[in-house]
Order: sequence, then structure tokens, then C-alpha cells
Amino acid sequence: MNNLEQRLRLSELSQLTRRHFLSKCTSGLGAMWMAGMGQNAFGASTKLIKDPSHPLAPDIPQLPGKAKRVIYLHMAGAPSQHELFDYKPELEKLDGKECPKEFLEGKQFAFIQGIPKMLGPQFPFKQHGESGAWISDRLPHLATMADDICFIKSMHTDQFNHGPAQLLVHTGTPIPGGASIGSWATYGLGSENQNLPGFIVLTSGGKNPDAGKSVWGSGYLPSVYQGVQCRSEGEPVLYLKNPEGVTRDMRRRSLDTMDRLNQKIAQETGDPETVTRIAQYEMAYRMQMHATDAFDLKQEDAATHAMYATEPGKESFANNCLLARRLAERGVRFIQLFDWGWDSHGTGKDTALNEGFTDLCRRSDQPIAALLKDLKRRGMLEDTLVVWGGEFGRTPMRENRGGAEMKFVGRDHNPGGFTMWMAGGGVKAGTSYGETDPIGYEAIKDKVSVHDLHATMLHLLGYNHEKFTFPFQGVGQRLTNITKTGTKVVKGVLA
Amino acid sequence: MRYFTTDLNTIITKSILAAICLSLPGIAESEVRFNRDIRPIFLKHCTACHGGVKEAGGISLIFRERLLIEGESGNIAVVPGKPEESELVRRIHSKDPDEVMPKPKHGPPLAKEEIAMLENWISQGAKWEEHWAFVPPMETKVSGLKDEAWVSQPLDRFVLKGIEDAGLKPSPEAGAAEWLRRVSFDLTGLPPTVKDVEALEADWENDDKKARENTVDKLLASTAYGERWASVWLDLARYADTFGFEKDPHRDIWPWRDWVIRSLNADMPYDQFTIEQLAGDLLPDPTPDQILATAFQRNSQTNTEGGTDDEEFRVAAVIDRVATTWTTWQATTFGCVQCHSHPYDPIAHDEFFEFMDFYNQSEDSDLNYEFPKLKLAGEEFVKLERETRTLREELDAEGHEISEVDWANMQDMALNPQFGTLEADDSGLIISEGTLRRGVVHKVSGLTGDFDAMKISIYPDSHDPKDWPEMGVMVTDFKMEKISTDGKRTPVPMGEIISDYLVGPSDPMSAFAQQPGGEKFKRFIGPGGHGSGGAGFGEYPRLTGPRWFVLLPEKRVVLGEGERVEVSLKQGANANESQGTYLRKFRVEVAKDDRYAALRSDPERAEKWQRVMSNRDRLAAMKGPEVPVMRDRMKSGQRDTRVFARGNRMTKEHTVKADVPDLLKQGYEGGENGNRLDLARWLVSGENPLTSRVMVNRLWGQLFGIGIVESAEDFGTSGTMPSNLALLDHLALRFQGQHNWSTKKALREIVLSSAYRQTSSTTPALIERDPKNQLVARGPRNRLTAEMVRDQVLAVSGLLSSKMFGSPVYPPQPDGVWNSVYNGAKWNESKGEDRYRRGIYTYLKRTSGFPGFLTFDAPSRDVCTARRIVSNTPLQALVTMNDPAHIEAAIAFAGKIRERGGSIGEQLGYAYLAATQIHPDTETVAELTALYEDLKKEDYTKSANLGPDPALTLTANTILNLDATLSR
Repeated sequence: MNNLEQRLRLSELSQLTRRHFLSKCTSGLGAMWMAGMGQNAFGASTKLIKDPSHPLAPDIPQLPGKAKRVIYLHMAGAPSQHELFDYKPELEKLDGKECPKEFLEGKQFAFIQGIPKMLGPQFPFKQHGESGAWISDRLPHLATMADDICFIKSMHTDQFNHGPAQLLVHTGTPIPGGASIGSWATYGLGSENQNLPGFIVLTSGGKNPDAGKSVWGSGYLPSVYQGVQCRSEGEPVLYLKNPEGVTRDMRRRSLDTMDRLNQKIAQETGDPETVTRIAQYEMAYRMQMHATDAFDLKQEDAATHAMYATEPGKESFANNCLLARRLAERGVRFIQLFDWGWDSHGTGKDTALNEGFTDLCRRSDQPIAALLKDLKRRGMLEDTLVVWGGEFGRTPMRENRGGAEMKFVGRDHNPGGFTMWMAGGGVKAGTSYGETDPIGYEAIKDKVSVHDLHATMLHLLGYNHEKFTFPFQGVGQRLTNITKTGTKVVKGVLA
Repeated sequence: MRYFTTDLNTIITKSILAAICLSLPGIAESEVRFNRDIRPIFLKHCTACHGGVKEAGGISLIFRERLLIEGESGNIAVVPGKPEESELVRRIHSKDPDEVMPKPKHGPPLAKEEIAMLENWISQGAKWEEHWAFVPPMETKVSGLKDEAWVSQPLDRFVLKGIEDAGLKPSPEAGAAEWLRRVSFDLTGLPPTVKDVEALEADWENDDKKARENTVDKLLASTAYGERWASVWLDLARYADTFGFEKDPHRDIWPWRDWVIRSLNADMPYDQFTIEQLAGDLLPDPTPDQILATAFQRNSQTNTEGGTDDEEFRVAAVIDRVATTWTTWQATTFGCVQCHSHPYDPIAHDEFFEFMDFYNQSEDSDLNYEFPKLKLAGEEFVKLERETRTLREELDAEGHEISEVDWANMQDMALNPQFGTLEADDSGLIISEGTLRRGVVHKVSGLTGDFDAMKISIYPDSHDPKDWPEMGVMVTDFKMEKISTDGKRTPVPMGEIISDYLVGPSDPMSAFAQQPGGEKFKRFIGPGGHGSGGAGFGEYPRLTGPRWFVLLPEKRVVLGEGERVEVSLKQGANANESQGTYLRKFRVEVAKDDRYAALRSDPERAEKWQRVMSNRDRLAAMKGPEVPVMRDRMKSGQRDTRVFARGNRMTKEHTVKADVPDLLKQGYEGGENGNRLDLARWLVSGENPLTSRVMVNRLWGQLFGIGIVESAEDFGTSGTMPSNLALLDHLALRFQGQHNWSTKKALREIVLSSAYRQTSSTTPALIERDPKNQLVARGPRNRLTAEMVRDQVLAVSGLLSSKMFGSPVYPPQPDGVWNSVYNGAKWNESKGEDRYRRGIYTYLKRTSGFPGFLTFDAPSRDVCTARRIVSNTPLQALVTMNDPAHIEAAIAFAGKIRERGGSIGEQLGYAYLAATQIHPDTETVAELTALYEDLKKEDYTKSANLGPDPALTLTANTILNLDATLSR
């Protein structure tokens, strides 16, 4: 248990004791929760105030933030910028030629050996929308939304293996133990819906991200801020349903008894954890109803299903996109989607640019475009920040694993340059920010580090990344990594 | 009370300072102490830039000598005794924004008191103190206690001193039932029965002290003790039943888990427990158990993902072992030293790699079959295996004795590549280039004259040892033929191979298994076989340097005029699951020497070979699970351990030898040639300042919910300060001294202490004064651990199986939780009593943990975990309310309640006592009865199976969800 939680619970306990236990409150817990929320509502200070037994209560950020919630679409494995957004005619010309020595000197690759060949973009590009954004023919649906998107083409990272790079892009550090951006967001802002987890994770592609569950861990933040992995099939949250035949009313009665007996214990022992437990059981009770409802895709009409290209009854990225919208509507603060399989090395069909990669584009293009459209038509895009990206980029060279030309076409890992995009939530729509060199290898103009991206996302949520800290190991830890200097909010992407 | 982020630092600093003052009673206020007064200022304001990572301006505040030197400014940072000449003082006072420290953009200026403190410190001579944890523990004499009568164990004096110094008094003693619940869970992980409660309460009346002692002795003697404490050790050991990483296949390592349980139950002293796990294999004539113990370090992960670099993940496993050792025994964050000197603690970059060398000599190398393994087939297996290994080494050594043989190149050498090119230079060095394919055969022939032996030397591509190891080289199949002048070919039967040294899963002799009549050599093939294993000669999966092999035909090869010899070298092995292991640079030479002839005809040698072969057959025929264990490469085949520049294994620097950091050198006796055994002995030498403290802190943390050092994983300067250093040191000295490393004795004293026996019932005032209960002015009250939550519900409902040990079991878990995409593993729900085993036996898959455990804060076991951070979430409520396993238990519990008989009120009162060990008052009984009567009115005809009395089942489920049931 950390200092913060303890202290907060403590203060709450003394109030609760006074207000409820000593007065032998018998009206259930509802009143207590309301009291908690009431207190919080006038926390108009710019300082972070947390209600101990209500840690996810909605809170006001340090600064006026334009984004109220985030939907983060992480394409685990790192999608190729050369085949999607970063059009380089120069690279097209070099296709098939041996890679010039100067591109290799001092470089480290995951798999490329010796002198690889350059690989031109595998698919045709066209400009789209009034903004004239370059988008390849793999993403025809997203192309129709070009004017709502802000592309950052000059992303770069310092990690070139999946695990560490995914940790860096989600927690600000390549080593397990950092707090994920979703945890920071819910720690700061709480959640607008107390009946659902504030930070929900949905996965597709049949696997969790390479870095495992640490990418949505709370690290040094209180564990209550960790992401909750939900499922798009079966029970959305494990053990959500009462045993068959046990009605909601029966559960209520059982809980009322539990609450009263627990209050008695809390009074006798004075243990603040007991008070927290009472609150958690109440939340579980509400979650049973609200989570079931939120995850019920049947409530959507046929047109919506068609728009998202959902696959009812399956674990699919499309379903997750639609769920993301439903959860956003319900006030979930941070919705994180992971789609696995974007590691296009070309070692096999699944990872070939013209095979597996193309399939993934096809499977994700329509749902992502639908999500943006859907948010927009509901007026939610302006305060929902949508982020798309991988953990690093891919090489402009063709991978030659084992030093040989491979049967399929693929690219190796490249930390030097990649594209991410953002939309909504205070981002300048219809823009492209930053540039890579003429072959899309290294970010050269208006470079944006992973930490810059984090600082920018926090800014949009209303936080100064340098002042949004948590004490751990003797220092004020922050998402943008205390050991890094020079991190800046990317002003050029702000509306 | 409100909590503001801006106040955090102040609060933290104050609490640290308070803690230090508390732990160092009676120190004169005027004397500046480095650890107490100065280091916190450095840590807070300075070390981010002037530490082990960045030494801005050439100044580091981690090592004293780095502070007393001229910085890049040309001025000396600290001149002892002369603040006015010290650059540090000038800079903190400076008004110039370019000069002032800390730089305004890095942090706020120092407070007046802090500046005064630094000046005083320099005036008083800038005396340095090593961080408390690196200084040996010291027994403090405690006097002037107000309430001497409260003390019942020696440790109580130290606790009471802390309580009284804080102006507080201990809480009243807990009643028998409260103490019994606490001590039962803490020692055995299980609740006491109603009978236990009643019996103790009766005994308590007569002689409470004796009653307690009897209870504790009984609990410590119970086999459940080992099962409870093993889970603590398994978190540190990152034990799981799978390999980890992407495919995460099954690993048979549960016999080691059983070893831990057995050793804990036998109260194996902690020094022995340490030595056997870290280096049991290096003890003289180790027993199977001592070798099994070393599986501790084989709990690191193995990557079987296609195309992953075996060397990369071998090194990752080695680094993981280093980090695990440091966290488990030294509570020191060592991982950061991989890339640079320690940011806070005085440990240098090279020292990481010196330490890594202890583990870098292990033979395991990320192979999919996890070689080397121990077959659990009793003493006999281990003896035979050892004898075989010794014999093999002797056989090679006899060959080595034949030195100064005249090796000659073949004349008129002809090279016949199947793929790519094969060319020899003037010296006879053969170089293979081009794109090869697995299974490629290089053919080399020439005129040799009669010969007794053929030497094949294998060289790495690179001349620079920094580039080693390289991709492995394996000749999986060797054949020799004579070719007469008319082209007729006659096979030359091969006899044996003398190797420079032996390493890897197969014996080099296996290279002869596929020659005509090579049947007898099949027994030399190791577990991986020829293709993805290391059968043949060479080195697999990586070539660590030049190697040589002398191949002896069965008899002298006698050649007629013009008759040639041809050897076929087939390379059929794959490393990294996908890459060939080809001969790239090699040499083939022959020699005629009677000494080889003598060797061949030596009957004693023949006898040894016979024994090796029959031993191998017997070993292969023995049955038993195979467990990965530690085994070092032979001395002659040791790996070069080199410093990685900036922690990157691709850029290696100079070599280093196994050693421990200078900071903690006391008690190390490994000298120049230290190995894991020296490492293990150093940890438990009694001179190491950390080992005992870390262990007693762990025990304390388990019993009180928080360690004396809260950051149980980090005793370094970045960790938290001990809340009561004198207590910690007392416990540490007693554990390694009087208790002779007996964990049970240490625990016995703690649970019988007055400190532990206090009631946990308390007042808001005391909670506010000491929220984490670090002063221990009240008894501990903690939530049950993940395993206890499960075990309790099974115990209370009477379902719990007492079956110990064996393969992990599969209690019910929801469908679809295991996302085993790349392996066919299934969660085959256990039947019979295996369904109700203690949590410690539940199957633990790294990439998909048991949901009920993860929700209650059990770690994924990816890395060494020194403490579980306890959370309190709605998802936990859903588990205990709705998990079908909990419902099943509630049905059984209802059955037991019914059996109790009497009125429903009596039954429910009994149930409440059984689940919480709290005697229910009438109000509680009335509440439960009302619930039962209410639920009884419902119609259950359409419900799931809720047992014969569904209302009672649901009431039982309610009781099992109470806070008092989930806490200890």
C-alpha cells in the first residue's frame, strides 16, 4: 500500500466514521457515495485531490483540457509507414538496389544482415481530402476521413525490440514497472462512469501484446488505476454474472447484509480497508448491470454493424472499435485497443506485406474509419482523442533474414522514423506534422519522440507533463520519464 | 486532511527524516550525519544530474572521491572543513541563473535549512557515511523503557522503544481467537477450525503462554507451513509451469516447487537453502535433491519463438538470474548497472559483468528442450551420470596427453562443395562461402599416407574475440572413405573422438551414428537429436571460440599407392529454429603416431568406453520427470565474459572475471577463480550486511503487512529507509546468529512477541498517526493473499484436499482464458480431489495467469517479485461472489452448516465463527438469519445448482464474502 492511498483512505475514514457509523446509518451505501462525490465536486483547485474510497471519481485537470477521453488504437508489431502514410517517391526509385553503406553504418537491426536491398513502397499512394494527405490504397475507408486526422510522420523511439518498445510507448520506460498512459489518465481524471472500470483494454489478433500485461499496468501508481482487460465475447468481465437463478434483487439483499456486517467490523477495528471494501462491493454490483449493457453489441442497429463491419460472436478488432465507441459514450476515460500481428518481417505469409499485412489493413481500415465517423456524427470526436500507431517503424530496406532473400516481402524494425496519427480531442485536423528523410528512414524535421507524444497527449487531457507526478523511489515519477530531458508538447499538432 | 501533489516531496522527506531520527535514537542534533542529513538532500536535488548515470560537470555525489575533485569548472566541489572554498556551496548560493544549483529548470532552489545543513557538514569535515544497508548490522542496547513488563521477546524491546519514542503506547493484547486466526494464516496459510478456536480458548484460561507456544509449535510442524511459505519464495524465484515468451509452452519444473515445500517444512537453514539453490550442483558429490535445488535459476524464461536469437535470450536469462539474485538476497537494484554505473548506489558498471560471469558459465543456452536437465530417477541416476561424465573427461584427457603430434595437411587436397564455394589457402585453412542450406555436405579428399588420427579444427569467422560467440557449427554426420585408384570406395570404420572439451546436449561421438554400422554410436545422441539439437561434433547453438576434435578410426588407415581418403562433413543442424550451423573456416589434418595406436589398443581405455556406453544406456532407460537445472561448462570451455558497452550485448569490450562488487566484498572467498558456489557462500557468510536483513525483513513484511524496510525489493539509497533500523538489525543478527539461519525459530519468536499479539482494533487517531503501522503500536490486519482466499474457502467448506506435491492441477477456470495460439495446451479441468488442492499447486501459465489469483494481486511470475502490492477492487468482489468454484464451496459450506444442527441462528452463528473466528453477537446472528429467511422465500426451481438449500448456500456465500472473512 502506498502513502497516498493510505492517507486518503484515512481522511475519508474519519469522516465516514463520524457521519455514518456513529449515527448507525442503515440506509445502505448510496448516501455515502453521494457524500463522497459531493465533496469532490468542489475540488476546483488545480492540485490533485483524490477521494480515498472513491479513487476513480471524475476529477478536474490542472489545465483546461480539450480531450475528455482517449481511444488508443495500438497496432502491436509496428505497422509499416512506407505502405500506409509516409509516401517517398525517392524510395520507389531505389527499389531493388543494394542499400548504400551510409545507411547501415552504426545501425543495429533486429534481423537484417550484411547488405540488404532497398524496398520501394509496395502499394500505390494518392492524396486525399482537402488537406491532400498521402494515404496508400490499403486504407480506402480511412482516406475518406483524412481531413479529420493529424498525421505525425516524424515519430522516433530508442527501442527496436517489441517488448521494450511497446513498454516505452505505453509507459514512458522500456523497463517493466512504469505506469501506463491509461493509468495516468485515470489517476488524474478519474472516470465519468463509476459503474465501469475507468481504463478498459480490449485485445484482438488472438494474442496479448508482446510486452504482456505490463503495457496496461499501473506500475508505481495505485493498482486501482491499472487497465482492466475485458472480453468482447462471453462475459465481458470475468465472473460478472450472478450464478444462474440468483436475481439482482437477491444479490442486493445479500449485499445489504454484507454492508451492515462490514460496517460493524469497520467500526470495531477502525480498518480503513474495510470501508474501501464496502465501496468496492457496491461498485461490483453496479458493474454487473452496466458492463453487461455496455458490451451488448446487439443493441446496435444493422446499419451500425455494417458500418463497422463487425463480426458478431467473435473476438475482432471491428467489434472492439464499436465497443470503444459504446464505452466512450458511457464515460470510460481511457479505452485501449491492441491489435496483434503487425510485425511484417516477411518471414511467412502472415507477415508478408502483400499478404498478412494487407489482411490486417483490410480488417482494421473500415472499423477505424467507422469509429471516427461515428464519434463525429455523435458530436463526440471533439472531446475524444483518438490515437493510432505502433511501437516503432519499419526499415526502407527489405528484410534479408539469415542473409538471404526471403520468399515473402517484409521489412525489419526501425526505431528512427515512423508515423502515428491522432484525431479529435483538440488536435489540428487535416494536417501532417514532421518529416522523415527522403527514404522514410529517419525522422529529420520536427522530430517527435515518444515522450513528446505523451506530453502532448497529457496536455490535451489538461496536464502539464512535468507537474503531473507521483512520488516513488524518492523522486516525482512522471509519464514522460524523469531521466529524459528536452521533452516538449508538440504545439504544431494542437488545434 | 487533504492531499496535494505539491506537498509530496516535503511529506516524503519529513517522513524519511522522522524515520531516521526514530531509528537512531540519541544522536546529538548538532552533529551532521551524512546518511541522515546530507544524502537525502543530494538524492532530492542533485543526483539526477550528478549521479552514477550522468556525472554533469564531472561531479558525482555517489562516491566521495568523485566529490572532492576538481569539476569541469576547475573548482573543487567540496573542500572538507572549508565551505567557503567549496564550489558546491558557491553554486547553491549563486544568484546567476547560469550558475545556480540546481538549475532553475531542473528544480526549486534548496531550502535555507538544507543549505545550512550542507555548510555545516562541510565545516565538520564532510564526513562520508556508507548507506546504512551496506554497513554491517549492529546490535543496539535499548534502555529506559517505560513499560518493561510488556516485553515478552527480545525484539519487543526494540518495538516498544519505537512506540514510546513516538509518544504512544502499545494496543491491548488480542484475544485468543483473533491471535489464532492471524497466526494460523501467517504460518500455514489456512484458517483454524472452530474446534481449534475452542480448544485454544480453553487452554488460554489455564496458561495462555503455554497455550500459545503449543499452538505455534503445532502450526510450524504442520505440512501446510511449507505450502504457505513456498508461495513467497516462488514469487521471488519467478516460478511458473511454462517457459514464458510468445509460445509459452509447458515446463516440468514442479519437482523443484516440491523441493521448496519439503525444505521449508524441514526448516532447512537459510544458508544451506541458499547454497543448494544457487550452487547445489557444485557441492562435492551432490545428491539429486541438491541438483534439483538449482532449478531455482532455471525458472528464467526460455524463448522458443521461431527465429529468435538463442544467444540473445541466453544472455537475457543470465541477466535475469543476476537481477533475481540481487533482489532476492540483497534487495539491491542491480539491473541498472548493466548499462551504466548505479545511479544512486556505489556500484560500478564493470562490476555488473564481473557478477554476470558467475552465471555466464552455465551450459544452458535457450534451447527448446532446455538442456541441461536432471532426470528424477533417484540417487542412482545422479551417480551414474556423474561417473559417465568423469569417465568421458578422463578419456579426452588421455587423448590430450598425446601432445606435440605432427599434424600434416592432406596432399593434393580436393574440395567438393555441395552449395556455395569451398576453398583452401596455402596453409590448408578451408573457407566455405556462399548461401548454404541445412544438411549441406562438404567433401574433402586428398593423399594422406597411412595415418592414425584426423584432426578437424573449427574456427570462428572473426579474428576478434569480441565478436564471439558466433553462430554454431555442427558436423552432424561424419563419414570417411578410402578411394582406390580405380575409384572404388571403401568405408573407414570410425572408433572414437577426442575433443578439446565437452559441452552441449550430445556427445561428439554421435557424429558417427549414421555411418554404416554406426548403430552403437546412437546412444551418444542427446535430447535434441540431429536436426534441432546438438548431435554431432562442433559447438551448438553458438561457437564460443576455436574448437578441435581428433577423430580416431578403429585402426590405423593404411593406404596403397595413389589411394585417397575422403571425408564427408554433413551439417544438418539448425539453431534459432531456422538458421544453419555451417562450417565456415576449418582445417583437416592427419597424423601417424604410435601413441594413438597404443591408446586404441589400451584395454583399460576400452573398458572405460564400455562403461560409458552401458551407463548411457542405463541412464536412458531410467524413467522420471526431467527438470532443467544449472550446470557449468567445463573449465577448459568457459565463456569469455565481456563488458557490454552501454549494456548492449552487441558491442562488447574487455573481459572480466567472476567477482562480487567491492562495496560488499566482505566474506567473499572466491579469489581469482570464483564460481557460483563461492557466490552462494559469500551471500550467507555472515559477513554480508544485507542477506540476513533482507530475509528477516521479508518475514516481518509477511506477518505485519509491511516490511521494516517498506521497499522490500530495494534497500539501496533509492529505497525507503527502515522504520526501525535497530529492530531490523537485532532480528538480522539473531537470525544468522542465535537461530543459526532457522526460519522457523525466527518466525516463532515474532509470532509469540507482544508486538504481534496486539489487537488490530484501533482508533482513527492511531491510524492517522501511523497509517502503515510501521511503529507497530497495534496488531497487523491484512487482506488474505490470493492463495489464502482460495485455500480458505476450500478449507472452511471442507472441500480442501490435503494431497501434497506433484504435477500442477487445473481447478475450474472460465473458458477462453488461455489464449494458446501457438501451442495446443488446454486447460483440462482436474477431476476428483485435484480440483480442490491448495492454490500453490494450481497450474501457472506465465502469459495467462489464473484469473482468480491475478485479481488478488498474485504476480505473473515473469520476473522476481519481492512483495505483492495489495489492492482492493470490485473485480475481487466478483471473483468471491460469482466464481463457480466459490459457489461450489458455498454449497459445501452450507452442508457443513446444516450438519452442525440446532436452530438456524445457531447454525449461522457457527458459520460466522468458522469463517472469521469472531464470536458473533446477537445482532450479527440476527442479520444473517434475516437474510436466510428472506432468501428462503425465493423460487429456485430454475436456478443453477445451488445445493439442497439454496438460501443457505447464498447466505454461506455472503459470509464468505465478508471483510472479516477476507482479512487476517
